[in-house]
Amino acid sequence: MSPALDPGYLLLAVVLSFVGNDLWRVLGVVLSARLDEDSGLFAWVRMVATALVAGLVAKLILAPAGGLALAPLWLRLAAVGCGLAAYGVSRRSLTLGVAVGEAALIAGVAALGI
Amino acid sequence: MSAEGDLDVVDSAGRSDLDWALKGAVAAVNTPGVVLFLSFLGFGAMTHDFGWPLWIAVLSTALIWAAPAQVVLAGALANGAGLLGAALAVTVSGVRLLPMVVALLPVLRSERTSLGARLLAAHYVAVTAWFEGLRLTPTLPRTARMPFFFGLANALVLGSSITTAIGHAAAGVLPSALSIGLLGLTPLYFLLSLERGAKSLGERVALGLGLALAPVIGLVAPASDILWTGVIGGTAGFLVQRVADKRRRP
Repeated sequence: MSPALDPGYLLLAVVLSFVGNDLWRVLGVVLSARLDEDSGLFAWVRMVATALVAGLVAKLILAPAGGLALAPLWLRLAAVGCGLAAYGVSRRSLTLGVAVGEAALIAGVAALGI
Repeated sequence: MSAEGDLDVVDSAGRSDLDWALKGAVAAVNTPGVVLFLSFLGFGAMTHDFGWPLWIAVLSTALIWAAPAQVVLAGALANGAGLLGAALAVTVSGVRLLPMVVALLPVLRSERTSLGARLLAAHYVAVTAWFEGLRLTPTLPRTARMPFFFGLANALVLGSSITTAIGHAAAGVLPSALSIGLLGLTPLYFLLSLERGAKSLGERVALGLGLALAPVIGLVAPASDILWTGVIGGTAGFLVQRVADKRRRP
């Protein structure tokens, strides 16, 4: 068994990741203590968060870690395109958009025999 | 359950904190929640491929509680990044949680919200809980928002932990097309949720720039690209909204 698969090693990795991740959450509590819901700063922070998550989505689709990378880039983009089209046509139904995008991705992977 | 204190405090609508928490838990079983559960099915399958024991996979969901961070951790360890390298990558990926917490807490908190309750609420902030918290709580009475959010978030954590375990257990059985499909759920759902949540012009600019900038900035600063994408895209969106507001009300 390689050291990276030792349960104690993995447990430590999970705990360290929990600490690293929650650091930002605690810092958010400290910074939000005096922030007004209607203030300009609040509006700015909310837009920063939106752009951050959007950036993460772009990275997850264009340069994914793990098994999603097995699907070629064109297939990933085509699946997202199908999902967006279904979402738009259905007047912004999350369910339909996700379902159609997923169906396209799964059908594409199956057809390519990956 | 609720860290709000007395569960028998009743608001003007005659509902206790526990009632609101239960309402929140029920609200978790909706399209966003179900998609989240399914994407943790994909994460569970992925950790099986990487050789993680089931309990570590479930613990990572319950404790870290951020799908992108967990995917970064699993991917980094699988690529031989080492303990500190992987933890650092996860920490960098978690920067986005800070503005999310800052944006959500002023909506949730009331006069009687303790520091402990705020810290606990912040721990539950992750993309789906954040979206749903911002979408569902503003119409509730202020004192109901925190217990509602705790009910919502706990139900999301519980469901996600269960599906992580199922995904791990099913990984050997699932055809690869389905397991790849499950991994694609998270980005697709994040993208559509962002679009639905972006109501103002400024938020649309922030969304569009965020998508467009991340791959470009990733070439220049791969370690901090998400952070810079957020700051640049968010600031641009904010300025556009300012100009639009001034034109409407000169």
